[in-house]
Amino acid sequence: MNEKKLDFIEPDTSVKVVKVTGQKSSRKRILDMGLTPGTRVDVIRRAPLGDPVEFKLKGYNLSLRKREAETVLVEVLK
Amino acid sequence: MTEKITVALAGNPNVGKTSIFNAITGSKQHVGNWPGVTVERKIGKRVHNDVMMEIVDLPGTYSLTAYSLDEIIARDFIIEEKPDVVVQVIDATNLERNLYLTTQLMELGVRLIIALNMTDLALAKGDNIDETKMQEFLEVPVVSTIGSKGNGIEGLLDAVTNELHRTRVTGNVFTYDDEIEDKAEKLRVILDSDPYFAHYPSRWFGLKLLEGDENIIKKGKESDSFPKIQIILNETDADILEAKVADQRYKTIQTMLRQVCNINTSHLSGSDMVDRVVTNKALGIPIFLSLMWAAFEVTFTFATPFMNMIDIFFGWLAETATTAILVPWLASLVGEGMIAGVGSVIIFLPNILLLFFMLSLMEDSGYMARAAFIMDKLMSKIGLHGRSFIPLVMGFGCNVPAIMATRTIEDTRDRLITILITPFMSCGARLPVYVLLAGAFFGRDAGVVIFILYALGILVAVVSAKLMRSTILKGEDAPFIMELPSYKVPTLKGSFIHMWERGKIYLKKAGTIILIGVVGVWLLASIPAPGSSGTFASQEIYGTTESMIGMIGQILEPLVAPLGFDWKIAVALLFGVVAKEIVVGSMGVLYGVGENEESLSNILSAGSMTPLAALGLMVFTLLYAPCFACIGVIKRETGSWKWTLFQLAYGTSLAWGFAFVIYQAGTRMGLMA
Amino acid sequence: MTHSYGNKEIAFAALAGVLYVFFGLLNIAEGLGIDTGIAGLLFVPGDILGGFCLMVIGAVFLNGLWEMHQGINAGVSFVYVGILMSLIFAAVYLLIMAGNLLDSFIVPDDYKGWSIMETFRPGIYLGLLSIAGILYWKNRFSLNEVLVFREGA
Repeated sequence: MNEKKLDFIEPDTSVKVVKVTGQKSSRKRILDMGLTPGTRVDVIRRAPLGDPVEFKLKGYNLSLRKREAETVLVEVLK
Repeated sequence: MTEKITVALAGNPNVGKTSIFNAITGSKQHVGNWPGVTVERKIGKRVHNDVMMEIVDLPGTYSLTAYSLDEIIARDFIIEEKPDVVVQVIDATNLERNLYLTTQLMELGVRLIIALNMTDLALAKGDNIDETKMQEFLEVPVVSTIGSKGNGIEGLLDAVTNELHRTRVTGNVFTYDDEIEDKAEKLRVILDSDPYFAHYPSRWFGLKLLEGDENIIKKGKESDSFPKIQIILNETDADILEAKVADQRYKTIQTMLRQVCNINTSHLSGSDMVDRVVTNKALGIPIFLSLMWAAFEVTFTFATPFMNMIDIFFGWLAETATTAILVPWLASLVGEGMIAGVGSVIIFLPNILLLFFMLSLMEDSGYMARAAFIMDKLMSKIGLHGRSFIPLVMGFGCNVPAIMATRTIEDTRDRLITILITPFMSCGARLPVYVLLAGAFFGRDAGVVIFILYALGILVAVVSAKLMRSTILKGEDAPFIMELPSYKVPTLKGSFIHMWERGKIYLKKAGTIILIGVVGVWLLASIPAPGSSGTFASQEIYGTTESMIGMIGQILEPLVAPLGFDWKIAVALLFGVVAKEIVVGSMGVLYGVGENEESLSNILSAGSMTPLAALGLMVFTLLYAPCFACIGVIKRETGSWKWTLFQLAYGTSLAWGFAFVIYQAGTRMGLMA
Repeated sequence: MTHSYGNKEIAFAALAGVLYVFFGLLNIAEGLGIDTGIAGLLFVPGDILGGFCLMVIGAVFLNGLWEMHQGINAGVSFVYVGILMSLIFAAVYLLIMAGNLLDSFIVPDDYKGWSIMETFRPGIYLGLLSIAGILYWKNRFSLNEVLVFREGA
């Protein structure tokens, strides 16, 4: 298995969501925003101060703090 | 006869819902709050095809869970108030995520109409959407609109009135796997047999129970059939099911999208290009700061002539009234009390209108989300959200519009803390006080002293935020999950409507409080103190020891004596709550030098006050109770007197504490003697 | 692979970048009390914050120049955003000028011996360059709703 936490992924990398863990309320919100298992997510960039991080998925841009990104397990797409 | 119906406007944030709402209702809008909370509710009216429609703008939400206040408000409105039609505004350039909300609205069993908005942008982007197929698939009317230009609004309203005369059951377009469907069906049977649930759409209620929605389970527990429900719930792992539900909704959407549209994902969009620059690692923050400077300059420099106009006009009005009214006390009440009071409310209007115009441009263009993205790291250190930054910066100009600007902060707790700490941002009205005192006592170092005061304000705000976060407003940080919407050219019309709305709210809600405050202070300054021989509202006693306020000042003297202040300062500070810059003018009157600031500074530095007390007074002016206008908007924006009074008490005690330490410790150590 | 920019974009970025940085520095120098000698001639005020803003715009152009020089296609974004920013600032300075002019009619006593040119700023005439730029590249700025920089080029 090659699961990584989303906050560790460098910009300009594409990943596939494996699972969302974490607290119920934030997990539900992350799922609602479309980070469901199998979804392709492009890591775009980190904010100038290093946090939050910007992602692109399902044709729109989303930003998560590292704390939230940490709860998303992903697999790097080659 | 005209029929009266309610139409709810639902949709994700940033989909142009407001522009659709404006296009439908024009200027016939009423802005208020949802009952019991400070989330904004907009209602508008429109007559179309002989039907009187009341349009209710629901908060923009991505979903309808119980985890966010906005979502609870939206879904409770749909369940409890049962609007005749729900119109969901969908961003045509972002179908997949928008349709996720559609799945939930459908489960709620509402009469749904889809306004496919921003179709022009989708076309420009190279997307191809087959509306007819979409309509067939979803089994609800789909109308394409361009809200910002008002295109398609008639068609949308036609669809609303057509829908009324059709009895239609929303098909189960969105279905789940057998396990979920099976349980949902079992629950549906139980719910349908219990009259307690007759009010709720049973399929939706069942699914929410399975997902472990706290709000719904609480409602369910009050029924007699809950034990039966409990059995089914016990067999279910809500966490897994919840993930499955979200997953399967998105899968169905994807299946549908493959059939109804062609989405062009190949190119780098304009938004991506702008973001490359404005969120650039090195340039992002400087660009943000320079744009802040621009917004600040426009708000506070461009407002000056208008504020002067208002000032002159009310000055003239007060004078005319005073000379026209022959009864002296009445003349004073009308001139110095009421007209001056109204003037002190209106004087802030140029700032408020301009700031909200600027903020609206930033919000509508999409830049506001980037600003929050850029500044979030810094703000998260004090437990706040990136969106708190802009109101705080605007606080340096004027706290009043700054506090009103906290509306863009979604999390209630973050918003409350931001409101409570904004008054510590040293606003423009406090500057005259610093300039006078620092100039009189610190000569060449005046600039440094003033800089230290601004810095102290920021420090107090930061420490207070941290303190409140870890004590009275404790709790998990709200998760930071923020969309960065694509950039759009803001429309002037939209920005003007927004600006005018804010202005109206300010005048209506905060205006009364300010007026009462100002007239109240006038009364205190005009009513003769017990035992005084002066006449009510005469020039001779106004604000002196002979008046109530003078007496209060003397009563307060023992309280401020440890700070090195005398009763005159106490009175000047009381007047300062009307507007902080008045502190200087009142001191002039009390020290018997009138409006002449130079002689005032001479008198003060000649021995009426020590440099330490002067420093303490500046710090006191910075931190103590904000002006009435500010108090008015704090009340309006927190919706609570408790928090308003808390701010006053907290700020004033801090002010006292700081001034006490400066004066006492400084005197003991023999500083600046 | 074809580039999304040509020599014109590169030249524009270099010119605008150097001009904005130069005027930004002049503003700051005057603001710090250093007499540059040419400030009066070019309507440069002593204004540290305003100078900072001009320098930021200049830096945006120069960063674009650098990226284009390295062959990064999206580097041209900086030129477009730089143009937009310089237009925003020109508009802001014009507004401030209008505000001062209006104020001088309302409280003439505060404006004795004042002339409108005192609030004339380099940000205004530098903006002319960007107007030329936006007219020249107008097919790439679609003001139709979205800031779509057309992918055309």
